[in-house]
Amino acid sequence: MGPKSTAPPGLTSFLNILNKNENKHDTNAYIELFISLLSRRQIRNSRSVAIATAELLLRVISVYKWQDLNQLIAHIKEVGNRLMAAQPREMAVGNIVRRVLGLIREEYEGDSKAGNISVYSDSGLDSITGRKRGESTSVLFSNLQPVLDGGEAGLLKPQVTRTTFAHQGGQFTSMFSLLSHPGSPEQNGTSTPPPTSHSSVPPTPTQSITTTATTITTEKSPPGPPGPTRDMKPGIIEGLQEILDELLTVDDQIASYSLDHIHSNEIILTHGSSLTVQKFLLKAASKRTFTVIVAEGFPNDHEATHARVMGFDPTNPIDDDDILDEVPQEQFQKTLAQAGISVILIPDAAVYAIMSRVNKVILGTHAVLANGGLLAVAGARTIAKAARDHSTPVVVVSGVYKLSPMYPYDWEALVEIGDPGKVVSWEALGEIGEGVGEKVVSVLNPIFDYVPAELVDLYVTNLGGHAPSFLYRVVGDHYRHEDINLGV
Amino acid sequence: MHTYTDNPRFPAGSPTTSSPPLGLGLVETSSGPFDILTHYTTTLDSDPDLTMPIAAIESLVALLSSTSTTASTIAEFLSIIETGISVLKSSVPNAISLSAGCDLFLRYIVRSLEDPRDFDACRAHLLQHGKLFVDRAKSSRWAIAQYGAELIRDGSTVLLHSHSRVVTALLSFAAERNIRFRCIVLETAPSLSGLITARILRSKSIPVSVIPDNAVGYVMAKCDMVLVGAEGVVENGGIINAMGTYTIAVQAKANKKPFYVLAESHKFVRLFPLNQFELPVQPQYQNLLDFTTEERNANDQVGKEGEVGCVEGTDGKTGGKKVAMGGRGKGSAPLVDFTRPEYITALISESGVMTPSAVSEELIKIYS
Repeated sequence: MGPKSTAPPGLTSFLNILNKNENKHDTNAYIELFISLLSRRQIRNSRSVAIATAELLLRVISVYKWQDLNQLIAHIKEVGNRLMAAQPREMAVGNIVRRVLGLIREEYEGDSKAGNISVYSDSGLDSITGRKRGESTSVLFSNLQPVLDGGEAGLLKPQVTRTTFAHQGGQFTSMFSLLSHPGSPEQNGTSTPPPTSHSSVPPTPTQSITTTATTITTEKSPPGPPGPTRDMKPGIIEGLQEILDELLTVDDQIASYSLDHIHSNEIILTHGSSLTVQKFLLKAASKRTFTVIVAEGFPNDHEATHARVMGFDPTNPIDDDDILDEVPQEQFQKTLAQAGISVILIPDAAVYAIMSRVNKVILGTHAVLANGGLLAVAGARTIAKAARDHSTPVVVVSGVYKLSPMYPYDWEALVEIGDPGKVVSWEALGEIGEGVGEKVVSVLNPIFDYVPAELVDLYVTNLGGHAPSFLYRVVGDHYRHEDINLGV
Repeated sequence: MHTYTDNPRFPAGSPTTSSPPLGLGLVETSSGPFDILTHYTTTLDSDPDLTMPIAAIESLVALLSSTSTTASTIAEFLSIIETGISVLKSSVPNAISLSAGCDLFLRYIVRSLEDPRDFDACRAHLLQHGKLFVDRAKSSRWAIAQYGAELIRDGSTVLLHSHSRVVTALLSFAAERNIRFRCIVLETAPSLSGLITARILRSKSIPVSVIPDNAVGYVMAKCDMVLVGAEGVVENGGIINAMGTYTIAVQAKANKKPFYVLAESHKFVRLFPLNQFELPVQPQYQNLLDFTTEERNANDQVGKEGEVGCVEGTDGKTGGKKVAMGGRGKGSAPLVDFTRPEYITALISESGVMTPSAVSEELIKIYS
């Protein structure tokens, strides 16, 4: 374990330790610390986890010395696998690790751009956005994408971004990889797709990256044996900083779309204490008057929800608000009511009863999966189902960092079971246990719900609005095909 | 009323007579005629693991190699390939799957020849690596098995239809990983190709129950998921597969069971069928609606030839050894139907699990 700090264990204390930068070459201590925080759930809430992961990887990369691409990628994968093993249900870890891996590959390929991509991607656009991903692209294209997805606006985006990311391999090539050239990268000038495509083809899996890496060194770099290492690090770190910036500003970006979705005199139903939702509503309240019905999210989230709605002292330990330090205080201490919204707080059980009056449901989320389904605070599926029953649109607000490329093969395994003491007090639980020999009651407290894609009408991310069936494209833009399976 | 002969892909008249003047399966090259159909069928027969699109690509490579010294210009090169493709497409009963391979091959060549200097390199590449393509295609089946095996959980029951190599590969892979599951296999009349699946799975010690096709609604509640392969995956993410797949998909939807499709991406095909009767199946092979007031003769009894032995190898690839559909269709083209994308939970290809809406994008990437 790393050095102790005064703050209670959580994101803040972890960042303090990272920033102190004592024994900065011993990244393993940081990794171990993060693993323990993760497995004890002292850092939870996907944004905190994402920030911690990105900060940690930043430290890991900045002190790591590598000879070639494979070595660096193997190292990051190794670290990533340890972190993911510590808390497999916390998708944000894997998301950030994959994005960093993509960043590294892009940085290397950016170097070998020379002849490789000219045929397939529009070089003009490429030079605009080539180096920046994620946020910068989103800012660029979000202007092009008005209110709702699915129409022409929705179609516009993939075409544009496709040229941006076309050279990243894996995407362009899955069908052609059958016919592509077996080895030699010098051949791939125009006749074959980028060499990374081979990774989808088992018989020749490893040669692609190695050969690319070596040809880069021989072709491009001046003397000095480990050519790329020197050049790559600042670029990768810059990219990581961009990811971190994105994590800090993501809610505001999402909120900037709120006026498109919330109209005057609407009745909005939401659930739990999501900060993203809070900001989304507050932003809309700056221009519009509307009513918000809040389902409290008992038993895991109700205290935080009450605090958000009524403006209790936010210093009491609600869920995880370590992020407090990062975000301008006054903005989210302002309650919905103070912002001029009429707020109605209801118990979860009343959701169906009230749904017939609701115009729109807005849900926060814990993780979004590639098939368009999502994990959110328990109760979300009931709400989504009730909304479907009344044909009320369900809008999910989520940062792209929550979007995982994983497919929920077994969604029941993704649902975390929490502290039963929140359902029945521990004292009462103790009494239950005393009845030895009698039938004992078990108390279950699932923390999340899996909401299938067909119950969601629209996702609003920091990139704009997307239909659930379109999320695969966003996944394709943010994660490299070869990184999706980190385990292997 | 929409009839088969309205189909613009197949103008009235027998395609076998309207196709090449040389005779079935022959392509005239400057070094003499090359029988691409025979090559195609022998290739398919020689290797039971081979799929139609790959055999088609292999045959086209063979066609090229037979003319390797003569095709000296790009135009000639392309015209030989195009002739080969049209001969192949018109001489097999059901060209859906085959045409996916042919179109991919042609598109690849056209892309490669955007820079004419690469002409020789491209030709050399194709000639040298014909075998490699076949190996890759097989390995993509293996990759699908690995992705998809995650779907199979201990204690689950899987409903299967017809015979698909990739489905059996996946289930065998899951069984090798000691996952305990059971399979319900539809016998898939009239070809009874479900029995092949059953036999293969049982040989891997997987418990199998074979049921008649019309029991699909009855058993659906007892299964956890449906797994099918596909002859072709069309642009909107729907699939063309053995007759009955659509029925199963509707049943699965009604019972809220996931319906998964396993298909290598070389089966993605540029078609956009809007209904069942728009499939590019040669009319004489799938003419189910034959209204009559006369008694049918004994030969019309569906499924009469339904023994495992006689359906082996009649997977629609050869143009037929046995008459499977009584008097209704000639040859043993397996009947196919079209399943719309809204019934499909997910497609699993060698590039991972994708929603049906992702298919069009894969196709656009290649053909735009």
